[in-house]
Amino acid sequence: MNDELKQEQTARINIYALLSRLTMSEVDEGLLKSIEDDENILSFFPTYAKWKKRDEYKSKELIERYLNVDFTNLFLLHLIPYESFYMRDDQMMETGGDNPVQAIFNAFEFKVELDKARVMAADHIGIELEFMYELCKAELKALENGDKEIALQLAQLQYGFMQDHIIEWMPMYLMNVKNEAGTAFYFDLADFVLEFILSDFEYLDRLKKNEFNYDALAEEKA
Amino acid sequence: MDMRDLNELRGEFEALQQQNASLECADGSCISDEEAREDYPDYLRAIYAEIMPPAKSGTYFSRWDLKRMASELDESFALDVRERMFQKFMQWIATPEDMQAVIGEFKKLMDLKCDIYRDYATKYPATKESFDKKIQKVEASKAYLDKVYVEFFT
Repeated sequence: MNDELKQEQTARINIYALLSRLTMSEVDEGLLKSIEDDENILSFFPTYAKWKKRDEYKSKELIERYLNVDFTNLFLLHLIPYESFYMRDDQMMETGGDNPVQAIFNAFEFKVELDKARVMAADHIGIELEFMYELCKAELKALENGDKEIALQLAQLQYGFMQDHIIEWMPMYLMNVKNEAGTAFYFDLADFVLEFILSDFEYLDRLKKNEFNYDALAEEKA
Repeated sequence: MDMRDLNELRGEFEALQQQNASLECADGSCISDEEAREDYPDYLRAIYAEIMPPAKSGTYFSRWDLKRMASELDESFALDVRERMFQKFMQWIATPEDMQAVIGEFKKLMDLKCDIYRDYATKYPATKESFDKKIQKVEASKAYLDKVYVEFFT
């Protein structure tokens, strides 16, 4: 496995982990500090980086006065971060066992602890991003072990899950999050997630066009 | 995880996808938009069932979207359950002109979303198919709104 591919896979894993965490629950002081202290990550939050409120308040106050309120509005109260609402003709959320995304997770033995995650159904944006994180992690492990066949199967699964699920609904939700965000942080987060999922799908599509041949994709890029 | 496990999982995944696709066909969602539209006793139910679901109109109308659209028409109501807010917005309609104004607001927002869909489809060509489908739904929904106007206000 070449360094460039390893770097790219590691970046995908880290970004899916970060986005899953940030869309699942409120940001805490430690996480906010790690975002602010890392130039690379902060570059994905350009409006937040220049946000004047950061100079006016300490992190704890900023979180309690602004960020938590905005998170509640965008992820719990006013907008709907669940796939079934966007995919069903009756615009209802499927919180039971008939949820098609839950069925996929069950098939992959990807266990979702709804109460711990504080979500109502498995098709929550944060859970779907975590599923992608797990698939990317398994793909990297396969590549490191030299199991290219398994790695390409996992990449195919990612492509299929994105095409049939993530790309179908998340943009609709995230466009509204961008529009309705009351803080620079969540405006940037929505833009970050949106641009990342679309560009990651672009990457997987190129990989698919190269018949999931990593070397051919690397040559194409060179 | 070995290769056999993975192949089995992939098989299950594909079977689930096919099952979902056939369920969609069973409930009539694979037939054309025009054929799928039902008859409704009033415009409120027609718009709620055919335009408000993102799966049908390709557009997510949030609570704040409803509030903003109403405010463009100098109407105001409190944030509430989405369906109740929609009902309040519809109850504001008293004349055919009001209905035209409401339809205008719906179309304006849908056009705005379509512009963004087109931008993303251009920037990320792999997503074009998905965004094109949404744009088609938007166009069919705009035509449906005109049909609702003719049916219930003329």
